[in-house]
Amino acid sequence: MKELLVTDITLRDGNHAVAHQLTEHQLSVYAEAAEAAGMPIVEVGHGNGIGASSMQVGESLLSDADMLRVVRGKLKKSRMSIHVIPGFATINKDLRPAIEAGVDVIRVASHCTEADITERHITFAREQGKEVYGVLMMSHMASKEVLLEEARKMEQYGAEGVVLMDSAGAYLPKDVRDKISLLAEELNIPVGFHAHNNMGMAVANSLTAAESGAYIVDGASRGFGAGAGNAQLEALIAVLERYGYSTGIDLYGALDAGDVAQRELVEVVPSATSTSIVSGMAGVFSAFSKPVERISKEYGVDPRDVFFELGRRGIVAGQEDIILEVAQQLSEEAAKK
Amino acid sequence: MAPREGKLKVAILGSGNIGSDLLSKVLRSDLLECTLFIGRNLASRGIARAAAMGVPVSDGSVEAIENDPDVCDLVFDATSALSHIRHAEVLERLGKTVIDMTPSNLGRMCIPAVNLQECLEYPNVNMVTCGGQATIPIAHVIGAVHGEAEYIEVVSQIASRSAGPATRVNLDEYIETTERGIIAFSGCRRSKAILNLNPAQPPVDMQATVYARVDEPDLERLTAAVDEMVEKVGVYVPGYELIVPPTVENGRIAVMVRVRGRGDYLPSYAGNLDIINCAAVAVAEGHARMTGSVQGEGAR
Amino acid sequence: MTDKLTASVRADCAAAADPGALQALAGRHILITGGTGFVGTWLTEMVAHLNDEHSLGMRLSLLGPHAADFHSRAPHLAGRKDIDLIERDVRDLDSLPTGVTHVIHAAGTPDNRMHASDPLRTMSVISAGTSAVLRASVDSPDLQKFLFVSSGLVYGPQPLDLPGISEKYVGGPECDSIASVYPEAKRYAEVECAAWRGQTKLPLVTARPFAFIGPYQGLDKPWAVNNFLRDALLGGPIRIMGCADTVRSYMYPSDMAFWLLRILADGVPGVAYNVGSPEAVTLKDLADRIAGAFDEPPAVACRGGANPRPSRFVPDVDRCRDTLGLRVTVPLGDAIVRTLEWHRAAGTARA
Repeated sequence: MKELLVTDITLRDGNHAVAHQLTEHQLSVYAEAAEAAGMPIVEVGHGNGIGASSMQVGESLLSDADMLRVVRGKLKKSRMSIHVIPGFATINKDLRPAIEAGVDVIRVASHCTEADITERHITFAREQGKEVYGVLMMSHMASKEVLLEEARKMEQYGAEGVVLMDSAGAYLPKDVRDKISLLAEELNIPVGFHAHNNMGMAVANSLTAAESGAYIVDGASRGFGAGAGNAQLEALIAVLERYGYSTGIDLYGALDAGDVAQRELVEVVPSATSTSIVSGMAGVFSAFSKPVERISKEYGVDPRDVFFELGRRGIVAGQEDIILEVAQQLSEEAAKK
Repeated sequence: MAPREGKLKVAILGSGNIGSDLLSKVLRSDLLECTLFIGRNLASRGIARAAAMGVPVSDGSVEAIENDPDVCDLVFDATSALSHIRHAEVLERLGKTVIDMTPSNLGRMCIPAVNLQECLEYPNVNMVTCGGQATIPIAHVIGAVHGEAEYIEVVSQIASRSAGPATRVNLDEYIETTERGIIAFSGCRRSKAILNLNPAQPPVDMQATVYARVDEPDLERLTAAVDEMVEKVGVYVPGYELIVPPTVENGRIAVMVRVRGRGDYLPSYAGNLDIINCAAVAVAEGHARMTGSVQGEGAR
Repeated sequence: MTDKLTASVRADCAAAADPGALQALAGRHILITGGTGFVGTWLTEMVAHLNDEHSLGMRLSLLGPHAADFHSRAPHLAGRKDIDLIERDVRDLDSLPTGVTHVIHAAGTPDNRMHASDPLRTMSVISAGTSAVLRASVDSPDLQKFLFVSSGLVYGPQPLDLPGISEKYVGGPECDSIASVYPEAKRYAEVECAAWRGQTKLPLVTARPFAFIGPYQGLDKPWAVNNFLRDALLGGPIRIMGCADTVRSYMYPSDMAFWLLRILADGVPGVAYNVGSPEAVTLKDLADRIAGAFDEPPAVACRGGANPRPSRFVPDVDRCRDTLGLRVTVPLGDAIVRTLEWHRAAGTARA
């Protein structure tokens, strides 16, 4: 039976779905359920990772330190993971304290063409003896050859695996197959895939990734994540079981965790709404959906137009400020007509 | 080439991209004269270019100034933070004014539109960061208009291609220095700096957003003050432009600026490098005016 | 650096050196580019031992871009009268210091993180740096011998069925891969050396180092053995990334230092010499042996990719053995034990 490493990102990507307002109680009950289900890795934090709480991408209710403390207290066998984006998080302010708070797994992320900015953070985490992965975000924006080159850099820096994130939910199964199989073929370390569900493909894409040689797949209970959400974890585990993969996760435990998520965390079960479908088609970061809807309303413009314009400009994750500029520009253009 | 009458004599230490672009700007200035351009290798591209333009060159590091102390009054140090620590010691002994382009954090932080006059009293001034030069003027105005801001955050976008290996490996230092600068110049209690690299083709311009949380936003006064400040920065950074005027959205003030580079030695998409060099030249010109070495027609 | 650490390194040098075989270097003045790096530091330790215990009377000039740091990293060497430091980028060298009779050109970091993040600088330091040192050397009337420290990577991928690569093997790195930046630059530099030798009769020999394990090698370096040592010192598990069947060999650096000096002294101009250990070991076996050096052995975990491809990087060192009488004095097992002891005493790994 082929083994897979599943990362439960409910408490990190899910924070996008509630504007980073997850409470201590919510973190605590879900972490307990994840531990009970035997999730190998449980990721926690602000949606954009540690050190990201900001006006730019949203201020979180809890500090990084509080989130890590609460979840650390509930995990025993499951390993606690964080997402780290250089440019937001620095080693001294954010990464070092997180390691002191007992983080086991560190996933260092950059835009898919900018892997060089992860060198210092990956090196630092490795020096601390931690399990470190590289993450290439918005990976639909680069060719498979470029992704391979950037992933190789992360491998050189000491990453133990490289995860391709479909941050915009823009992949179709053939894209997954193309990119994952090349990386799995060429890299000496495992490859992973992180799906979003903007066009309803998240579970299917994750399965395709596994079938194309990925070793790591990410999922969130009830798909609780940015925009249209992520691959629904409990459904993914069921599908993988049918396909004969071993994940070490207890199916009933995962289903229970899904119920806990629905009862305690999820305000609206994520679905492919019209804006998130457009976000996927435009290739814009899924987490833009909340600010785009808010700002479009304020400026009286169609959020779908905003998404397509952001896509045309090649805006990357973390550039939420540009939404304001684009909305103003569209509203001024409309006024002229 | 003998210095022309009445100009302040400046030396440039460092013949890389920053040093070479500074040279273009100094050559255009009515108030400055580059009397020595110093690299480490006479065969390097930067030195060859300077020599071809008739600028005296040397490969002698800071010792070139030590051996001929009258060669200049002011020195731009465009080497590295590590080297600057050594240079600063020598230049202080020689009594030279120093404008430090490196992230050494030794000298007085300078944003010309905010504290030029004060900085002219200091022998060593530091140019903070590129993002700091673009956003601190706005942060300063927000603090001044509202008495006190609780929190100010700045987000910069730069073109991926304008970020060389040194920039990439020093993101943490960039963030921490910019955050210190925001607090020092705006009086806010907390600050945060974020940097995004955007790889779009053709390369994007540098753009920066300043967010603030204040007790009661006074948009009317802020708008007037921001307009005035943008004009003030525009005097020494021609490509500096306000693209989103002060706006209150979702409980926060937002202001956005864009910086187009002049395309002197560096490409025009490298507004991030252009702005810090423009600011440094503005400080040197401030010295030129102060020392009175320039009278009448030269001064603008 | 504590006295205990310097004494242990000194003892390693004493055990590896045969001073009688280095008489050609007695009283000579050697410039080492990259002189404050790993290779340079070990060469300096070896020369210090030979001068102090065997009165060889050599002088050293160490050139490096951050040579001043050497005072804090190795004060017992930096403060010596027979050593001077030159802080300079090798590319900016225009003449040799007065009196230099021998050059060991070892500039250029083998750290592949740097190769990935700044490939253009990596290539420039090797290509422009080699040109600068060669030009300065040819201009120097006192120069007697030049040793270029290349890399065993110039051979390109080693066939899995070839036990050890000999100097006669012809291969090369792929030329469209970022991973080839360092080996391809070294290949180019070797060819440039050959051109200068042919045109100017510069007495130039080449060494092709393989892999090393020992003191002064930072545990942060991105190579398997360093990571294994660090993982183990931190309590484990030792994580094997990539293919566990990959085969490597590791030489202890006191042997490396003696071999390089021996090649400088009596290597034949125009000839290249492999420097490394022929004792092959798989990564799995290496991890197990490191684990076994602990009273409570840490676990060993394999984290391979989807498509495990073993590679092999082991030299054939018959040429050094047969023509220069060189041998490996520290077998791998001893090298592991000594390296672990050194790092424990130095407190390098943060627990």
